[in-house]
Formats: sequence, structure tokens, C-alpha cells
Amino acid sequence: MTDQHPALSLRGLAKRFDTKVAVAGVDLAVPTGSFYGLLGPNGAGKTTTLSMAVGLLRPDAGEARVLGYDVWADPVRAKSLLGVMPDGVRLFDRLSGAELLAYHGLLRGMDPAVVDQRAAELLDVLALADAGRTLVVDYSAGMKKKIGLACALLHGPRLLVLDEPFEAVDPVSAALIRDILHRYVGGGGTVIFSSHVMEVVERLCSHVAILAEGRIKRVGTLAEVRGDRSLEDVFVEVVGGRTATGEELSWLSR
Amino acid sequence: MAVPVTVPERPARRVSAWHFVRLKLRVLGNNFRGQTWRVALFVLGVLFGLWFAAVGFFLLAVPGLAGESRYALMIAAFGGGLLTLGWLLLPLVFFGVDETLDPARFALLPLSRRTLVTGLLAAALVSVPALATAITAAGLVVTAGVLGGWAAALVGALGVVLGLLVCLAGARALTSAFAAMLRSRRVRDLAAVLLAVLAALLGPLQLLVLAAVRQTDWDRLDGVARVVGWTPFGAPWTAGVDVAEGRAGAAVVKLLIAVATLGVLLFWWSRSLESAMVGTASSGPARTPRGVAGGAVAQLFPRAVGWARRDRFGALVARECRYWWRDARRRANLITVAVVGVFVPVMVNLGGFSFSTEGGAAFGGADSSPALVSLSMIFVGALAAVTLANQFGFDGSSYAANLIAGVPGRVELRARMAAFSIYVVPMLLVIAVALAVVLGRPEWLGVMGGALFAAYGCGLAINALVSVLGAYSLPESSNPFALNSGAGFTKGLLTLVSMVGSAVVAVPFVVGAALLGDVWLWLALPVGLAYGGGAALLGAYMAGDTLDHRQPELLADVTPRR
Ligand SMILES: Nc1ncnc2c1ncn2[C@@H]1O[C@H](COP(=O)(O)OP(=O)(O)OP(=O)(O)O)[C@@H](O)[C@H]1O
Ligand SMILES: [Mg+2]
Repeated sequence: MTDQHPALSLRGLAKRFDTKVAVAGVDLAVPTGSFYGLLGPNGAGKTTTLSMAVGLLRPDAGEARVLGYDVWADPVRAKSLLGVMPDGVRLFDRLSGAELLAYHGLLRGMDPAVVDQRAAELLDVLALADAGRTLVVDYSAGMKKKIGLACALLHGPRLLVLDEPFEAVDPVSAALIRDILHRYVGGGGTVIFSSHVMEVVERLCSHVAILAEGRIKRVGTLAEVRGDRSLEDVFVEVVGGRTATGEELSWLSR
Repeated sequence: MAVPVTVPERPARRVSAWHFVRLKLRVLGNNFRGQTWRVALFVLGVLFGLWFAAVGFFLLAVPGLAGESRYALMIAAFGGGLLTLGWLLLPLVFFGVDETLDPARFALLPLSRRTLVTGLLAAALVSVPALATAITAAGLVVTAGVLGGWAAALVGALGVVLGLLVCLAGARALTSAFAAMLRSRRVRDLAAVLLAVLAALLGPLQLLVLAAVRQTDWDRLDGVARVVGWTPFGAPWTAGVDVAEGRAGAAVVKLLIAVATLGVLLFWWSRSLESAMVGTASSGPARTPRGVAGGAVAQLFPRAVGWARRDRFGALVARECRYWWRDARRRANLITVAVVGVFVPVMVNLGGFSFSTEGGAAFGGADSSPALVSLSMIFVGALAAVTLANQFGFDGSSYAANLIAGVPGRVELRARMAAFSIYVVPMLLVIAVALAVVLGRPEWLGVMGGALFAAYGCGLAINALVSVLGAYSLPESSNPFALNSGAGFTKGLLTLVSMVGSAVVAVPFVVGAALLGDVWLWLALPVGLAYGGGAALLGAYMAGDTLDHRQPELLADVTPRR
């Protein structure tokens, strides 16, 4: 039954914190097999939206479905299909990389032998094997991103939800991650990730949504959203940015 | 490319201690924003503080109000000394320190060490315990004033302020020193031993006090008070009384002693502050784990968990086990359990011993009985389990991983109980056996074990529920003793609730020990194991259901707001 459903569908998701409306009704359908980029300025509500979509934050209204399974009504089925890399959340970082992967794998009910084999492969490919038994607390920021990605990939999910996967990652590793994600989508998986790096989104994505002030402002395939301009122009136009010129901050250049 | 940056010779405005106080008040206020229950808890904490302060005030003011100068020095020396001792030991052993202003946050600001230390000290004054202590100690000023007039009151007030500052600086210095030691790979085991010795000192101290009170030999007590009055513990508090009794010279020397103590403590504190500020990144022993070769799964499981199946439950137990050891905060909690768990039953059951030897009575638990032993064991069991009252708070936002994987609440709680028990049950057994040996009553072992495990099991059950409903976030600080502002009272309240709850549920074991006689000596252990085990499983079952319904809320509760 899962095939006629979108990989992820959000309907009317909304969340307010005290007086601040962080997400004001987001509808989104992420088709199976797509590579979906969620763009938006700082504080747009990307993290909040994705957290609600994967079951980390209870929405005030609306529903989220993963391949047809409601994340909040049938969390077990939905979560087994999901791989998530949240942002601003600590890993169980008093474990070494290998221990962390083993932990995630077993939590997902995988066979220990398979966990061993995949963990070794992932550590190797992501160039984390050299870290050996260093605890994840002592990893660099980029290494933490990479081990987080490995944890999300380990159980072979159908849908990957990644919050800012390219933040703090060096160019070589970024290329590596792009490769991995491409192969994953090529093999029938679906990826949705948030980012503010336009080049990455333009290079990778088949679909884009631009979120600002808790609402979807533009959505569609990359070509539809971009038209004949660059994605950055569209983004700036939608978000209504300002550029600092003239007299303000003049003390910076004394 | 050289960017021309002008360096101002002097900051436009000097940073003073007042800025820190304002900053603290502001942070406190912002913490309360939109959190009604936090405000309520805080108000409750203030009321409690005021109540204790009022009682303390009148106790210390008694000699003055009664115009009775005979006991003035004694009360000042012992009362003040107890206050100081409490400030030094309680944060380490139980309460932790309020770290509304985490020193590490100031690392990048161009502040001199001196500004920082005085500022943080001033900010520390703005807290409920500090204010309560100030009110309490004001009783000494009243005593000095009534007995000796204005001059005495003035000196008394000066002494009390100094005493309060010594308390604050001492608490900070000691906790940061221990934090540094617990962080360091090299000396952290030494730190554990030291902490144990410190806490164990409370035992003999209490015996001494009890014996002293029993004797009511006022002359000798007076002598002790005089000696205490010359130590840093008593010096600031007794200065006022000294003036009232016409020893102005002694008062001056005592004030100087207090100032010197304060100076040394502040210096010590600033040293450890610096090391904490430099090493902010990692809050635990950055130890590279050594050991088993093999696959990832084999690495995850410590030897003590080798029996577990390689599945979800096993993974949870293994991870928890690793965390109880690798996380400095959790380790500090384990140490506390071990220390308090040893010395409280010894004190309670041997308390009679020091008196009975005077009368030449037989050695060995003259005052103890199966019921009393059961009671003290219930305390130990409940205390051990209370460590889990904020078990999700230890994890902070990393708990998200379990949420994403969809771990059922019951499995989660059962695994956490199992992992904690791997450390605690052997410890409890050792305590029970040791106590039986010391008391010379090996036949009581069954009674003790029964009460112990019954209380521990009930405690696990109650704390499972408390940890799901009453979780609060802990600061991501390098100091394992650090608490968020206001969390101290929450912690105390939850601890009290769950300890009383566990004890009440385990009370049948005291009754049994008191009424059933010799049959109970044999029955207690199996009944206790079944009772405790059953309670724990039932607790995990019920609390697990609650957890399933509020996982995201729990995650939000334990995620530190930055
Ligand atoms: N726990 C919270 N309490 C109160 N307000 C919050 C909380 N989490 C987020 N917000 C607010 O909700 C809004 C959206 O935040 P969110 O983290 O979703 O933004 P974002 O798009 O991920 O931004 P960034 O690109 O900087 O990561 C922000 O204005 C933020 O201040
Ligand atoms: Mg974000």
C-alpha cells in the first residue's frame, strides 16, 4: 500500500511557542524517490517543522504521514521507515562511534551481525574509522554530523529526514555525503533535508520548498521554483532580505 | 590582510559586581517567563527558605532575647560552625550548586580574574539559601546587640557578612575543585575517595555531638565552643559575642582570621575557575575506552552486561551501563549513594554504641533491633533508588535518539532499572553484609536484605513515575554539581516525595520485623525480593504507559534551554 502514498505528507502542521508562532500551517507532499530541499532563513521554522514530522515535537494541529502511516497515531510503523538526523540535539556522545552505531542498530531491532558489518562499512566510508575508540563528545563538529548521518542511514530507512546535514562539514566530506545521498535516492529512497546553502540545493534537489515565517512560500520541482533565475534570487525575493550598505556598521572598518 | 582594529586603552565603563547581580536577576526572571509551575515552585522554595530562616533566627537569637549571656558563645560557635559545615558539605553530597551564571560563559570576555570572582560571588549572594542563611545569622547580631550594645552589634554584623561570604566561597571552591578532579582522568578516583572520606566524617561528628548532648557537661562543651570559635568555622560568627563579653581584641583577631580564610578560598576558587573555563568543551573524562576487540556490537556491551541478549533491551542496558561510569554527573551520584548508604545505617545502629560503652555494656548493637535495622535499610534502599528520580535529565536532548527509534516506554524503563541495579545491587549487598558483621548479628542478614530490596524495588517503581512526570533539565556544564536556578528546590521536593513514597510502601517490612519475631528472620529475604521485584516490574509497567503518552513532552522537559 505504501507505494501510492507520498514518502512524507504534512497537512496543516502548526506550532506556537508561548506567543511566538513558529510554524503556521505547513502542507507538504514529498513524492517517493524525490530529493527534497527545505529552504528558509534563520528562524523560519524548518527545524520545528521537521521535528513535528518525525515525532520529536507534538504539533498543535495538523498531521504527518510517512508512506501513509500517521507519525502520531501509528508511531511504530512510521518510525521504522524513517531515518532522522536532527539538528541541535546531542547524540549519546559518551559512546565511541562504533558503540553509537551498534546502539542505534540494535534499538532498531537489527540483527547484530548485520549491525557489525554495516557499522564497519559506514565508519570506513565516512572516514571515521581513524577516530577509533575516541568518544563522540571529543569529535569535531563535522565528524559529529557525519556520525549522526551514519546513525540515520544504518537501518536502511525508506525516508531520510536530515536537518542541516551540510553544516560544519568540509568540502571533501560534503561531496562524499552528496554521493551517498545520491546513491540512496537512486536506489529508491527519499530524502528531505533543510539547508540554507543554495549551491548544494541547486546541485542536488529535484524538489524545493521555501519556508519563511512559518509558512511555505514557494513549492515545486526545482525548475518550477527557480524559473529562469538563480535560486538565490528567488530566495532573496521571497524572504525579502536586506543588504547592509551605507552608514551602518561603519565602525567595523576603521 | 591587516584589518586596522583599534584597541581601546580602557573599557569605557568598568564592570562591577553589580553587573553580575543584575545579570543573574535577569537570567532568573527570563527563566520564569511563561512557566507558571516554575514560578510556583520558586515561591514555594522561598517560603520554605523563610520558614527555616525564621526558626534559625530565633534559635540563634535566644541568648540575646533571654538576656542569658552564658550560652551566647556556645550557640554562636556551634550554630555558625554548623552553618559553615552545611554550606561546605551539602552541595557536594546532595544539593549541588546553583549555576545560573556558568563561569565558562565568561571565558571569552575581557574580564580580569578578580572582577570575575568578586562578580560571581556577589551573584551567588542572590539565592534563596544565601538569603536564608543571612536571616538566620542575623539572630547572632541580635544576641550581640542585646548583650553588648551597638558596638557589639556592629562587629557582629561585620562578622556575619564575612561568615556568609566564607560559606559561599567555600561551597564554590570545593565544588569546582571536585568538579575539576572528577573531570581529570588522573585523579578522578582519588576524588571519589576524598568525597567518601569527607562525607564519612559526618558520621563520627554526629556521634560526637550526640555524646556531648547526652553528657550535658556544659563546662566541657564551653571549652569545645571556645576552640571552634578560633577556627575558620566559628571565627566570623563569634566575633560579635566576643565584643559583648568585653574581648574586643579577640574579636579583631577573629575578623582577621575570617578575612584571611575568605582570601584563601577566593584564590583557590579562581584557580579552579580558570581550569574549568579552559576545558569547557568536554564535561566528562575524555577517556578513550580500551578493551574488547571485535565488532561494533561487541564494543558496546561491557563485560558486566555480557549476559544480555543483543537486542533492543540489551542495547539500552549496555548504553546505560556505559553512561553510569563515563558521565561525571552520574558517577558523582553513584558515589553519593555509596557514601551515604554506608554511613547512615552505621550511625543509626551504632548510635547507641558510644553511650553503652560508657556504662560498660556489651559491645555490639545494644540499641539496635531487627525493626531499627529494617528501618535504616529501608532508608538506604529508598536513597539508592532516588538517584533515578531525574534519570532522563541526565541524558538531556540525547534522549531524542530513543524517541526517533520508537523505544516503548516499558522497555526503556525496565532497561534503565536493570542497568542501574548492576551497579547498585552489589553495593547494597556489601552494605548489608558489612552492617551485619559490624553489629555482630549475622542472623539478621535476611531481615536486612529483605527490607533493603523491598525498599529498593518500591523506590525504582516510584522513581520511574517521578522521572517521567517530574523531569527537569540539567545545565550542559562541565561541573557535575551544577544545577539550573530553581532546580535545587525542585530536586529537593522530588527527592522528598519519592523517598517518603518508597519508604511508605516498604513499611510492612518494619512491621513484620517488629511483630513476627523469629519466623521473619527466615521469611524476610524471599518475601522482600519478591515484593521489591514485583513492585519494580509493576512500576515499569505503569510508568511505561505514561511515558508512551508523553515522550515528546519529556524530551522538551529535559532539553536545556540555551
Ligand atoms: N523551544 C522553543 N521555545 C520557544 N521558541 C522556539 C523554540 N524552538 C524554536 N522556537 C522559535 O521558533 C522559530 C522557528 O525556529 P526553528 O528552529 O524552527 O527555525 P529554523 O528554520 O530551524 O532556523 P535555523 O535556520 O536558524 O536553524 C524561531 O523564531 C524560534 O525562536
Ligand atoms: Mg534549524
